Amino acid sequence: MSERRREGPSWDWDSPNCRAQMDQIFFRQHDYIQKGTTEHKEFWTFFERFQRFKTKKEMSGSGVAEGHRKEERDRKTTIDLGLPKDYDGRYRINISVCTKDVEERLGTGRSDQRNRHSSSGPRSQEIAACRLALLHFLDFNQRQSFGKLAKLRSEQKALPIYQYRDRIVELVQTHPVVVVAGDTGCGKSTQVPQYLLSSGFSHIACTQPRRIACISLAKRVSFESLNQYGSKVGYQIRFEGTRTPSTKLLFLTEGLLLRHIQADGALEQYQVLIVDEVHERHLHCDFLLGVLRSLLLCRPDLRLVLMSATINIKLFSDYFNSAPVLQVPGRLFPIQVMYQPIPAEEQPSRSEKLDPRPYLRVLQGIDQRYPPEERGDLLLFLSGVAEISTILEACQAYANHTKRWIVLPLHSTLSLAQQDKVFDIAPPGVRKCIISTNIAETSVTIDGVRFVVDSGKVKEMSFDPKAKMQRLQEFWISRASSEQRKGRAGRTGPGVCYRLYAESDYEAFASYPVPEIHRVALDSLILQMKSMGLGDPRSFIFIDPPPASSIQTAMTYLREQGALDPRGELTSMGSLLAQLPVDVVIGKMLVLGSVFNLVEPVLTVAAALSVQSPFLRSAQHNPDCATARQPLHSNQGDPFTLLNTFNAWVQVKGERGGASRKWCRRRGLEEQRLYEMVNLRRQFKELLRSHGLLEVLEERAPSGGGRGQRRERLTERRKLHQLKREHDLAEGGKRKVLRLEDGQEVDSGSDTDQDRRGKEATGGQDVDIQEVKFKLRHNLSELQEEAAASQDLSSRQQSLLKLLLCRGLYPQLALPDEHNANRKDSEQVFHTRNKQGVVIHPTSVFASDPEVLHVPEEGNREGPDKGDSSRHQLLAFVTLLETNKPYISNCVRVPALQALLLVANSLDSNADCTRLVVDGWLEVGLTGEGALNVLSAALTLRADWERLLLAQLGQGTLGAGGGSRAKSGGGLGVPGVSRKDLEKLADGLVRFLLYTEVSYSLCRLTGLQVQNLYVGPQPQTELSEGPAPNPLFPGKEVKPDPIKGGLRVTNYFTYNCLTDSKDLYSECLRTFWTCPHCDLYSPLTPLERMSHEATCKPPGEQQPCQDKEGEGVKAASSSSVAGLTRVYHCDVCNQDLTLTSTEILKHKRQHMHSGR
Amino acid sequence: MEPTTDEVSQNMFNCQLCSLSTPFTYYGQKPPNTRAIVLLEECFVTKDPFSPDRERFLILGSNCSVCHIPVCVGAGCSIFYTKRFCMQCVNKHMDQFPSQIQDELAKKKRSSKKGVS
Ligand SMILES: [Zn+2]
Ligand SMILES: [Zn+2]
Repeated sequence: MSERRREGPSWDWDSPNCRAQMDQIFFRQHDYIQKGTTEHKEFWTFFERFQRFKTKKEMSGSGVAEGHRKEERDRKTTIDLGLPKDYDGRYRINISVCTKDVEERLGTGRSDQRNRHSSSGPRSQEIAACRLALLHFLDFNQRQSFGKLAKLRSEQKALPIYQYRDRIVELVQTHPVVVVAGDTGCGKSTQVPQYLLSSGFSHIACTQPRRIACISLAKRVSFESLNQYGSKVGYQIRFEGTRTPSTKLLFLTEGLLLRHIQADGALEQYQVLIVDEVHERHLHCDFLLGVLRSLLLCRPDLRLVLMSATINIKLFSDYFNSAPVLQVPGRLFPIQVMYQPIPAEEQPSRSEKLDPRPYLRVLQGIDQRYPPEERGDLLLFLSGVAEISTILEACQAYANHTKRWIVLPLHSTLSLAQQDKVFDIAPPGVRKCIISTNIAETSVTIDGVRFVVDSGKVKEMSFDPKAKMQRLQEFWISRASSEQRKGRAGRTGPGVCYRLYAESDYEAFASYPVPEIHRVALDSLILQMKSMGLGDPRSFIFIDPPPASSIQTAMTYLREQGALDPRGELTSMGSLLAQLPVDVVIGKMLVLGSVFNLVEPVLTVAAALSVQSPFLRSAQHNPDCATARQPLHSNQGDPFTLLNTFNAWVQVKGERGGASRKWCRRRGLEEQRLYEMVNLRRQFKELLRSHGLLEVLEERAPSGGGRGQRRERLTERRKLHQLKREHDLAEGGKRKVLRLEDGQEVDSGSDTDQDRRGKEATGGQDVDIQEVKFKLRHNLSELQEEAAASQDLSSRQQSLLKLLLCRGLYPQLALPDEHNANRKDSEQVFHTRNKQGVVIHPTSVFASDPEVLHVPEEGNREGPDKGDSSRHQLLAFVTLLETNKPYISNCVRVPALQALLLVANSLDSNADCTRLVVDGWLEVGLTGEGALNVLSAALTLRADWERLLLAQLGQGTLGAGGGSRAKSGGGLGVPGVSRKDLEKLADGLVRFLLYTEVSYSLCRLTGLQVQNLYVGPQPQTELSEGPAPNPLFPGKEVKPDPIKGGLRVTNYFTYNCLTDSKDLYSECLRTFWTCPHCDLYSPLTPLERMSHEATCKPPGEQQPCQDKEGEGVKAASSSSVAGLTRVYHCDVCNQDLTLTSTEILKHKRQHMHSGR
Repeated sequence: MEPTTDEVSQNMFNCQLCSLSTPFTYYGQKPPNTRAIVLLEECFVTKDPFSPDRERFLILGSNCSVCHIPVCVGAGCSIFYTKRFCMQCVNKHMDQFPSQIQDELAKKKRSSKKGVS
């Protein structure tokens, strides 16, 4: 090399100029490797190494030629292979690069014309050197890639399932249903889809119970099937997917496949369906199997593969007409089982904390028996979070002392960063001790576990239909779970499983866990069945039918919710709710919100209530977090706190982008949940839009800006896409080595730690992948507008929003106990219709501020009216869950009387309407005049509300097509929903909510009262001789109620059916009354008066004409109208206008016309 | 919903020695879009699955120049030395190969034996 330098004084490999000349020869545009690509850069790095290597070799010298000659002499074979005499590494490479044409054109490479021109162009020597390096570079790359391929193939072959490959394919080809049963590690989830794919099946869907598994399997299988960069293998989950028209294998969740069936009953788009993990017996999976069972009848060509652990296989085979079963052995190392039952004196009694001694003994035993150099971590299964923190504390004390353990908790309420820690590696001589719920039994797999401690307990959710309450209770696990837990010790080597129960206990365990379908409320399931047209849910053939009572409870509930009609058929509301992937109550909220143009805040609230709370429990006791959270709190209720939080977060995102991470940490917020919210929110919005419940705004011209700005945005998007790709490629990343202190943080949300993690998770660069995805998915300025629209709600909007939430959540209402004002904050008690004595969950805003729920002392009241007030309140809540106590969470407070009158399913009154019984459990006592006014107003509002809601649901479009007529409606043509009608209704509701100043008493009925509530059917009176026309709802009839007695005025209001009722028309009930609209003044009964009110409208309404509507009405409703408007920037006028959405549309249209 | 044929009857490359089996997309000396690059033997080629670049090719193997069986390019199955030789043929004609290659193979044999025992 030194010689070369001397000869060509101007040639310097390090000079950019010289390299550029080589680039012109070898790395032109369109060449295999092009200038400027990463590969090109890699080549030059390779080149330098290669040159150094060559020099070193040249210097050491060698007798190549000699050696070969010797060989030649010894030759004995008959065939001459014709190999060259002298060895050259070049001969080992099967690639050549021809550049002669270029060289000639450039006139380079002439070894003879050294001094021609003063040019410093490369000579043939240099070109040859570069070419050789390039060949070695290409060869090196070939070897690397082939090495990967070979390794992949040999790993695939080593899997236990590989031997069954042909058998599986054959079975699937010849049978409609096949069961593949294999234990952990046999490779079924990754391999079976590939076997089918490569044997010629396409259009394969493979369901998974967990979203995360869909993503990781798609990633792994696309890599294994050599399609890492293609879209042959994809996934689809709630918010994202990688599916394209060329996708042949799709991983998706069970719920999503069910939705596909909802849309395409025969599932024509698939040829093979693989249902994985059927043994887990999730609700969706059981249901899916039932649906597929009947679907097979009309799709005889469809192939169904069930994959299961080796648990209860016969059940599945039998369900599908004795489908063939293929059993594959798992790949587990031997595991030694040690039964170490907890001695009586260490057994925790009820309500006591766990005794940590049995657990500590296991740790000590491991320390004594196994030298620290022998690696292997410990996984400890406990039933719940409280149990985990008890044992965690004790183990950490022990670890502190021995310095041989790092103790980490694992459960789903931890932050994701904390959960992620369990995958990090312990330093040498130290073991991880992971204390987990059953999340580590199937959902989370941690490698390197050698020891398992199994408490034998699990906490499981069950549904109590009587109390309408979920319950989290501790149970013994099943033998199947016990085996699953044990198996976690033998994944990477032989292991030990310590069972903290006796072998006889084990024998007494149930074989399998109770399937979910037997434990949970079936509301959503039944709704979905109805919308799929599966007939009577009671006659549906489930693999393991749920109790008939559960189905009945769900049907009743859905009827109460208005999703099913009295005959059990889907209502228009119901069919809409069935499309929404959320709880019925949340779905109702969304529908109601879209009607009132309160859609932005409702979308946020519905999304927030559908994901885990973003507020980390661990941060609650951190005073800094509490202070920082304070401004987000709303004493209206938890949904409002969530709304504030989301809006504030969006603003931070808009102003400071990635800084939102820090903002969240300060407040003890899990940002991931907010990302989930924003995604879910968007999905809801699209769903509402596709059902015509939202105006479809014309495709926004990419909000203003010239071409330059647009290009800028495009560049940014491209950059973001690049970042995402890079992140996706940096698969897994390296795990961090834990420090001993990592196990010591009892307080979780330590700042530095999470910060460190956030950065590490993205491979050192300070790229927050969530932020990148967020930016790709959402239009931030649009989102900011939406957040702004729901930020500073006026008190009118707020009360209307509360009413919508309440109507959505109904019948989930709780009444504060009358003695709460005299109790400590921590002892506030509430009652629901079905469950007495529930408490507010400590995370709720009302737990720390219960006074806002107390009835204020109202001046100089005395005597029998002591309990009377106009300020009674109720709580509407999202969940009622019993753990150690029955807790209600996510509560919002509402004015009691108004809310009940507007949302309750059953209102019963006495003759003068001074006594009302709501839903058979709450009694409202009113006095005289006010009673009738308020009841009458409520009936009118409800009728209007119902009419508009129905019209909207039936009609599907709002605003844009104001003139169109709705088809639905009780026999009468319901006029199209006009914006004006809606605004009038909104205004009416708000007035009713805010300005009803009626004093009343509110209490629960006692058991005895409930029994003797109704007068019951009455002997024929003159009234029932001929059906009287219903004056409130012309066209309907007022009939005596056959059960309660009295008169059924509407489907929710029965008049005069309560036992203390007087005779319907007895004179004493007539009072003189003046109609505010006409000149009527006469003695009327309550019913007569109500009927007059219903027909006698103020003059302005009878003739809905702009002029008569007048300034008065406009002024009165102006504040609510203002709430429905937003600032709109018109590019054409170049003006900011304050308009409602409809007005914006009109405004735009006006430009469209004038533009023509 | 016929089974698509591109996978089944798709051209499969099968190494006769290690039974590595994977589809190939091109056979010959001039894979598409490789410009100046030419292969010195007729190869079974596929798109490099580990490169995000669509145009990268990956040589899977070729036919042994002596016995003509298809073999993969893995070091255990074949070597290329101006031509492709399957390991069986290399062993048969070991003496014709230069000492560098002989030494290399001997070393490999030793280390793989050690690995097994
Ligand atoms: Zn091979
Ligand atoms: Zn051969």
